[in-house]
Amino acid sequence: MPTPVARDNTEWISALRQEGEAREQAVAELREILVRGLRHGLRTWLEPDSPSLESLAQETAQEAVLRILAQLDKFEGRSRFTTWAHKVAIRIALTELRRKEWRNVSLDQMLESEEGEPRERWLADPAPGPELTAEQNDLLGRLSQIMQEELTPRQMSLMQAVALRGVPLEALAQKMGVERNALYKLMHDARVKLKRRLAREGLSPGDLLQTFEAK
Amino acid sequence: MTGLLDRLRHWLGLGRRTPSRLSPAGAARLGRELESTQEIEFDCEQVYQLLDQFAEAVRHGQNGAPWVPLIRAHLDKCSDCRKEFEALLAVLQATWA
Repeated sequence: MPTPVARDNTEWISALRQEGEAREQAVAELREILVRGLRHGLRTWLEPDSPSLESLAQETAQEAVLRILAQLDKFEGRSRFTTWAHKVAIRIALTELRRKEWRNVSLDQMLESEEGEPRERWLADPAPGPELTAEQNDLLGRLSQIMQEELTPRQMSLMQAVALRGVPLEALAQKMGVERNALYKLMHDARVKLKRRLAREGLSPGDLLQTFEAK
Repeated sequence: MTGLLDRLRHWLGLGRRTPSRLSPAGAARLGRELESTQEIEFDCEQVYQLLDQFAEAVRHGQNGAPWVPLIRAHLDKCSDCRKEFEALLAVLQATWA
């Protein structure tokens, strides 16, 4: 392989838009840059230097180069070209890792509570625990009522899955065939509704923290 | 778009159980979620568009852009975007010449 060429943003775009050998060299260099980056970026997900990391890095870089070439017009030059390219590659790699991690979990399992869930969960049994103070019991009752009145069943399910059970939005979105942005917006709408309602009730998030955190 | 929303409504309509009472831990978590909730927030797509700039700014300790607080607020709440940012920052820290 020829010696890599140090390129600025303009030179990257120009080289990738050319025809022939110059383009092929730029594509090969970009691919190698992405592979090297992914080896670092995926270390918290996969064992460093492992075959699985190397395989994912190679496959991701291949797909990322194709996507980058198709999206060159979207690069606005507000960062280094290679940083923008790494961003594209990381999105592809983490999407694939999440898909694999959650492939054996159905959407129903993601949304529904089930036996054996961790005790620290969003919704508990209706009966108040004896260790709770009267103030805590009263506030829990009010909060539960507010949530039932303000949130749609969909929003309640989503909040439970994401905020309680730690299901990634991306994993849910993949199962649903929607963009994770749509789910984030649904969650945001739910949080805003609850915050407004709490304010109308004379309550603040700080009241919840003061009453329930670290007790 | 309508098709996607219909599908979303269909799937999220599956869990029509009656919610039971909040747990204390859930209430605390809700408090943390709501404390950082703003009427106007960046969504995942807006954050993605700026993530490369943001990672470079963090890499160089430059946090002056007006959108930086909006991105930080989103990353605090969205683990998917936060992990993408952390991975990108790890790349920059390891490879930036």
